[in-house]
Amino acid sequence: MADSGRLALIHAEIDGELDGPQRAELARTLLADPEAQALREDLRRVCAALDALEEVDPPQQLRQSILDALPQSTPSRAPPWWSAPRLRHAALIAGVLAAGTIVYETLDGPRPATSDVAGTIATADTPTTVDTVRLGNGAVAGRVSLYRDRAGLGLEFELVASAPVDVLVASDGRTLGVNGLGVRDAPGGPRTTVALPGFGRSGEAVDVTFLMAGHEVGRATLRAPKDR
Amino acid sequence: MKEDDDATLVRRCRNGDRAALEQLVMRYQKPVFNVALRLLRDSEDARDVAQTTFLKVFEHLGDYNPSFKFYSWIYRIAINESLNALGSRKPCEGLNGEEADTAPGPDRQLEGEQTGQAIEEALMRIKPELRAVVVLRHFMQLSYQDMGDILLLPEKTVKSRLYSARQLLRDRLLQRGAI
Repeated sequence: MADSGRLALIHAEIDGELDGPQRAELARTLLADPEAQALREDLRRVCAALDALEEVDPPQQLRQSILDALPQSTPSRAPPWWSAPRLRHAALIAGVLAAGTIVYETLDGPRPATSDVAGTIATADTPTTVDTVRLGNGAVAGRVSLYRDRAGLGLEFELVASAPVDVLVASDGRTLGVNGLGVRDAPGGPRTTVALPGFGRSGEAVDVTFLMAGHEVGRATLRAPKDR
Repeated sequence: MKEDDDATLVRRCRNGDRAALEQLVMRYQKPVFNVALRLLRDSEDARDVAQTTFLKVFEHLGDYNPSFKFYSWIYRIAINESLNALGSRKPCEGLNGEEADTAPGPDRQLEGEQTGQAIEEALMRIKPELRAVVVLRHFMQLSYQDMGDILLLPEKTVKSRLYSARQLLRDRLLQRGAI
């Protein structure tokens, strides 16, 4: 059976990613290994079948329903502070220097898979803050608070960053996420609240991971008393 | 008439230009709908995801950093919303390392079925995170790097997931005599 190196060559060939020497190596492999040859043919057929699936036209009314659902006035904001070249460069340099030193709290649990990023923006209804973590002078600054309202737990973010921050939230095997937080005109700008339906009923810690362009730039752990 | 690029349209949208907003919807409604459809295999759910995706895009347009590709951002939101929709169908689906199974109904004999249908069914039987990589590569024709940007993953992980997904699809299709 083809080992992982040979498999990688076969897949890379299908994706048109092989250079000359790799192509020669694959040719030698295929000549010497009939199983690898059969696998390659199978995978080529699978990929051809995938590529042959046609795009589907969306329902006729989709465009209109999207436009109807959008607010009449589009979000009109002054350019964010990071878009000024000098400030942007300063913020990026500061972010790079500080990214490795951000410490919010030590996290014991496993890190959630980044593919699980998904979230719900929600409105807090008379919330009571139960825990707050202030974020240091790293790539992400500001604070994150855990609150409880009638609907359950939620998080409130007030972040300032040099680029959009994606946030992963994990607790007791549940994960969700929110994209594009943290780039505001100034600290203390508009807040974002995120409902955590079903989270923290047994008083588990709520772990928050901050990512920029796919790279972790910080973590925080917040705790709520048991839901009674 | 020359069409504006994404960055120009986004800038116009931020300045309150409704026509630019409509152009972005026109440009991306089909790919966003198709991403969702391939992940969910349900036209109604895909339509809902497309609508939510655009709502979130415009809600956060003020935060969008134009140094990143707009399509990476909108596809990321579409994929996350699709995964949310899948999660609400079946909690914890595909998150525990086991192979997910979201195909409706019992297995059927392949005889008489088209390869296209067989591959669509096989796609729904692999974990959503593997399916997402296949969708971005084979339906959106994106590079490894773009896929990594969208999924917030290193290229190495993208390749590893793509290779695993293809091999699982191959095993399923062989099992059913479809290839």
